[in-house]
Amino acid sequence: MKELAGRLTALDPDAGAAVQVIAYFDRLAESRAGLEALVRGAAVLAGVPARLVDADRRVRVRVEADGTRRDSDLPPDAAWPSAALAPGGVPALWLERAAEPSVVDAVILERAAGAVRLVLDRTRGRAPVDDPALVETLLDATAPEPARLHAARRLGLDPAAPARAVAAADGLPRIVPEPLGAELPAGRLGLGPAVPVLDLPRSWAAARTALRFTAEGTAQDPGQRVVYADELGGTALLADLVVPGAEPPPDVVALESAAAATPWLLVTLHAVASTASLRAAAVEINVHHSTLQDRLVHAEHVLGWPVRTPQGRFRLQLALTMRHLARS
Amino acid sequence: MTLVPPPFDPELAGALELIKEVISPGMTLEDIEQIRQGPGIQMLAELDLTLDGFFKAEDRVVPGPQGAPDISLLICRPTVPSAAGPRPVVYHVHGGGMVLGTNRVGVDVALAWAKELDAVVVSVEYRLAPEDPYPAQIEDVYAGLVWTAEHAGELGVDPERIVLAGASAGGGLCAALALLTRDRQGPRPIGQVLMCPMLDDRNDTPSSRQMAGLGVWDRTANETGWTALLGDRRGGPDVPAYAAPARAEDLTGLPPAFLDVGSAETFRDEVVAYASRIWQAGGIAELHVWPGGFHGFDGFAPQAALSQRTRAAHLDWLRRLLDA
Repeated sequence: MKELAGRLTALDPDAGAAVQVIAYFDRLAESRAGLEALVRGAAVLAGVPARLVDADRRVRVRVEADGTRRDSDLPPDAAWPSAALAPGGVPALWLERAAEPSVVDAVILERAAGAVRLVLDRTRGRAPVDDPALVETLLDATAPEPARLHAARRLGLDPAAPARAVAAADGLPRIVPEPLGAELPAGRLGLGPAVPVLDLPRSWAAARTALRFTAEGTAQDPGQRVVYADELGGTALLADLVVPGAEPPPDVVALESAAAATPWLLVTLHAVASTASLRAAAVEINVHHSTLQDRLVHAEHVLGWPVRTPQGRFRLQLALTMRHLARS
Repeated sequence: MTLVPPPFDPELAGALELIKEVISPGMTLEDIEQIRQGPGIQMLAELDLTLDGFFKAEDRVVPGPQGAPDISLLICRPTVPSAAGPRPVVYHVHGGGMVLGTNRVGVDVALAWAKELDAVVVSVEYRLAPEDPYPAQIEDVYAGLVWTAEHAGELGVDPERIVLAGASAGGGLCAALALLTRDRQGPRPIGQVLMCPMLDDRNDTPSSRQMAGLGVWDRTANETGWTALLGDRRGGPDVPAYAAPARAEDLTGLPPAFLDVGSAETFRDEVVAYASRIWQAGGIAELHVWPGGFHGFDGFAPQAALSQRTRAAHLDWLRRLLDA
């Protein structure tokens, strides 16, 4: 196969080989070849190792030019010619070639990626973020049970295995299988509890609540970027009390106006509220212990309540938490 | 009965797509000359017979059968002296439907084994049909085997450890050679590797009908090959076993055989039947039927997963045979 492909390339470096490549992958797709066969096809036709990495579906295949499978944990080189599985997606298929890719390389990548995508959709289900309509069906408690089970299968979820709903700041609902394996998307995320797929509407409600407790994790918005609903406990009750966009509670107003005047205030207070001791808080924000003491004296003055007593610290934690809940 | 063929293995179907421009399944007598001049032979000229210097290759002209021209043996010996005494021999017979090929065809497979097994490869040239019909081929192949056994000392090989090996027509000739050397009390090979062997001139099995027009060697090509070899006698009542081993009535006393064949090829049923008859005769045989394999797939698509398994099975069997 390699010899023959090589010969055809020699006869007509571009057009002839490109036609052969297209015919080869079409035939593989038609006869329902598996992922390894497709990656092997790319490797053999290109004469260099080829690899497929789909983080969402936890698929990793690497085949050398002689057809032997030899997976690698090393990350692909960004300079290698690559293709995404879908237009605009992240690279998922690579040819391990240091030189400039040829026209034939481009055809190999394009054809192989298309065929790989079909196999993945068929055998592993669509990627979790792939089809918002299916995810919506699965999260809709009013949708009929068979429709929700069908959507689960189409999304590649095992109806018997638990999954979590994920609420993200970008508004796009997601579902991830449990245990978590794939990387979670970036940005603020609330994770619902792991439940049987038919209970996902419940997980989704909890995930949206959890999302309200998240923060960007920046200086202006310190706090946890990812919050698990399971870990909120009684704090979750606050979510019903603080209505987003309404007039915030007085302690939150005090916090906001103090923060507006003092850039370090929120980071400092978050460190105090979320660490076990003032010493740990000082280390956390990388200031001297005495500097922290000075800052807290100032903070207590502008806020109007102590933050170093147990009661004051609890009031501070509540205020910081309600601040997140109050955002619209 | 249904004529629906078993599907090709997906990777092999893809490989067929690549080679279909060069090889079509239905060869006729008129096509032979053109195929002999075609790109297949040209590619063989570029074969590295030394495997990067591991072997020393020489062409040796040795006496042919009585009253017939000399024959040429391609002899490939490891360049390093043997540490363990005389080496085993892979006596290789090339394929090509009895009408095509040289002693270079398919020898890379035997060389790859020999490198792993520290063996010598002797690949025999034989006269082709239709110019030279039966029994020119089997007699040439027999003469080469006799010469090899008689010159074992000179070649540094062990005449008690000769393995016959061939694919397609070469496999058929190896099977015939095992019968012939048994009956003539000639050299005694210790094994025979019959890869998708061409065994039965009758060409009328269900697999030969199912696969008509498909793959690389179909019923039409098979009829062409056998007719070139046997003329009017093909398929008739008096075809000797040394021409078509499937005709042999006595399969006792043969060396252990390794047979393999694709499920999606003309020869499937005749190879399965031949293996069964070896067992029925109390013999030793290992049979593999590779699902979705077309004729000679592991040579055309060596990278395919099925080809890798096939080649591993060949080597595994040879190791067991030679280590025993």
